[in-house]
Amino acid sequence: MEPAEAEFLAEKELVTIVPSFSMDRVHLIGGDLGPFNPGLPVEVPVWLAINLKQRQKCRLIPPEWMDVEKLEEIRDQERKEDTFTPMPSPYYMELTKLLLNYASDNIPKADEIRTLVKDTWDTRMAKLRLSADSFVRQQEAHAKLDNLTLMEINTIGTFLTQALDHMYKLRTNLQPSGSAESQDF
Amino acid sequence: MFVTDCRREFYDVIVSQRVLLLVASDVDALCACKILQALFQCDHVQYTLVPVSGWQELETAFLEHKDQVKLLVKQGDDLDVPAYDDIFRDEEDEEELSEDESDGSEPSDKRRRFEEEVIERTARRRQRREWEARRREILFDYEQYEYHGTSSAMVMFDLAWIMSKDLNDMLWWAIVGLTDQWVQDKITQMKYVTDIGVLQRHVSRHNHRNEDEENSLSIDCMRIAFEYDLRLALYQHWSLYESLCNTSYTSANLKLWSVQGQKRLQEFLADMGLPLKQVKQKFNSMDMSLKENLREMIEESANKFGMKDLRVQTFSIHFGFKNKFLASDIVYATASLMESIEKEGPETTNFIKALDSLSRGNLDKLHQGLDLAKKQLCAIQQTVASCICTNLVISQGPFLYCSLMEGMPDVKLFSKPVSLCLLSKYLLKSFVCSTKNKRCKLLPLIMAAPMDVEQGTVIMVGIPPETESSDKKNFFGRAFEKAADSTNSRTLHNHFDMSIIELKTEDRSKFLDALISLLS
Repeated sequence: MEPAEAEFLAEKELVTIVPSFSMDRVHLIGGDLGPFNPGLPVEVPVWLAINLKQRQKCRLIPPEWMDVEKLEEIRDQERKEDTFTPMPSPYYMELTKLLLNYASDNIPKADEIRTLVKDTWDTRMAKLRLSADSFVRQQEAHAKLDNLTLMEINTIGTFLTQALDHMYKLRTNLQPSGSAESQDF
Repeated sequence: MFVTDCRREFYDVIVSQRVLLLVASDVDALCACKILQALFQCDHVQYTLVPVSGWQELETAFLEHKDQVKLLVKQGDDLDVPAYDDIFRDEEDEEELSEDESDGSEPSDKRRRFEEEVIERTARRRQRREWEARRREILFDYEQYEYHGTSSAMVMFDLAWIMSKDLNDMLWWAIVGLTDQWVQDKITQMKYVTDIGVLQRHVSRHNHRNEDEENSLSIDCMRIAFEYDLRLALYQHWSLYESLCNTSYTSANLKLWSVQGQKRLQEFLADMGLPLKQVKQKFNSMDMSLKENLREMIEESANKFGMKDLRVQTFSIHFGFKNKFLASDIVYATASLMESIEKEGPETTNFIKALDSLSRGNLDKLHQGLDLAKKQLCAIQQTVASCICTNLVISQGPFLYCSLMEGMPDVKLFSKPVSLCLLSKYLLKSFVCSTKNKRCKLLPLIMAAPMDVEQGTVIMVGIPPETESSDKKNFFGRAFEKAADSTNSRTLHNHFDMSIIELKTEDRSKFLDALISLLS
């Protein structure tokens, strides 16, 4: 899966906006988009929020986990534990990127939030690499990782499966077999 | 057409149609175009953009797109429009008169009523004659002098503000539009200061969050700040020395074309305590200790040397860690991009490049524009210096005249109207400072430069005299027309600005003679 696909899936998450126009309820295949009244907060999927924001038709309200103190706690927690801690949202990285790119004027202390999320991401990626490394090295049969998000799985997924493939082929070639002439993979 | 309510009579009408946008080749028009484009993007309005540089192109573009429903013209200059009722009289008044005349009446009161009618009729006729006389006067004034009203970018920003769709970006474009009018000396100082006050209110409304430490914006967000900054062109992107030499205000007041002038410049720098080595370095690399109180120091020293207006009220834009620009920097960069003589591709590439450079994402184009602007300013100063030193500016009686020869360096740069206007204004300022003849100081200037060598045409520009209380009204438009008529010269009055014309080189002398006799 491409990172762009993961971002596409992330855009279905709901976020609160304050529209500056009015419109009746819209019925789409994926669900209804609630009636819009100027000044009244309403929940919409991120793809619509970004589009409206670009057309200057709404103001975005950052999700409650996108706050400096909460993110500091999460980052410290992540650094303490050896395993993965649960994240506030299964798409925290994509949402941060989208909201901070398009609506940074609606999010207070945007620069600090960006740094904190990046720190958390770096810690988790380091843990992931460490665990993948030990998995391959010790030739484990299976492993279980909790609380990984789709984006993180994506970054390591292709590499890990291909590496394990190679390992398997190398291992099967080591064992003596009936016709040991061919060395082709 | 006359529009009184911008929103209802204009925007609401076009927002549901497909629009043709004709934009003049002027930085102010470009800024207004950007604001309008931003509004159209928000409201999903389909539009076609056509750059025009004169009345002929306007006509051809209009004829090409005749099936478009609505027509919008963006002009660089908004001439002050007199009141509607003063020019157009509604049809109803005429009918009233004829109705009364055919009004039947009783025989008994006929005589008295007839007399009353006659009195009424004569009174009305007299009123009408007075009204017509006033109308002729107003139209004559309107068409005789040419001058500039409010910047069109500011008008567009006002429209966006009335609809509550205004953004910091649009405000910045309005600021650049106003600064363009000031750089090209098209509006009076009073008007400039008043408009700055108007924009200042908008700036504080959009940018008040920057002072609040708790909720400060991301560094990547754009901020606009009010500055009482030095009038030196591009000084933050150049060295202070170069900027002092190439700004018309300092160069004219210090008379930098003469040896004495150069000495005065050294004295000026010494008075401020700035070492020459520092001053010739790029501004960003100057010592911090020197840069700290630079503005106040320069102002103090400038007062001693007779330059009282070295600081001017303006705005600056700030985004990211590296990018800080003054409004005048953007004006110079965009103008030189628009009139760059390098021919790459179709004719409209320069226009589109200049338009793009106004967006914050196209910093490389902006930097290109800044480099071109530096070259342009250097070329202008060198040309001014050589014109004054070789006494090329001659008094023809009612006006001063200067003609650029074909062999002069950088003369190709001045075949474009905006560059030539800038050159003539700087030349007039320098000439006024250099001459001792009191009468010559009050004369307007006509400047001629070769436009197209193969076709043998010359571009001619007329600018009003340089006085303290000048109201910047330019009468050369009509004068050029009349002179061309009387001598049957082959002229082209194509530009939106009527005081810029093109004519054949052979007709030049008889045209000038006609002008002299017309204006004396």
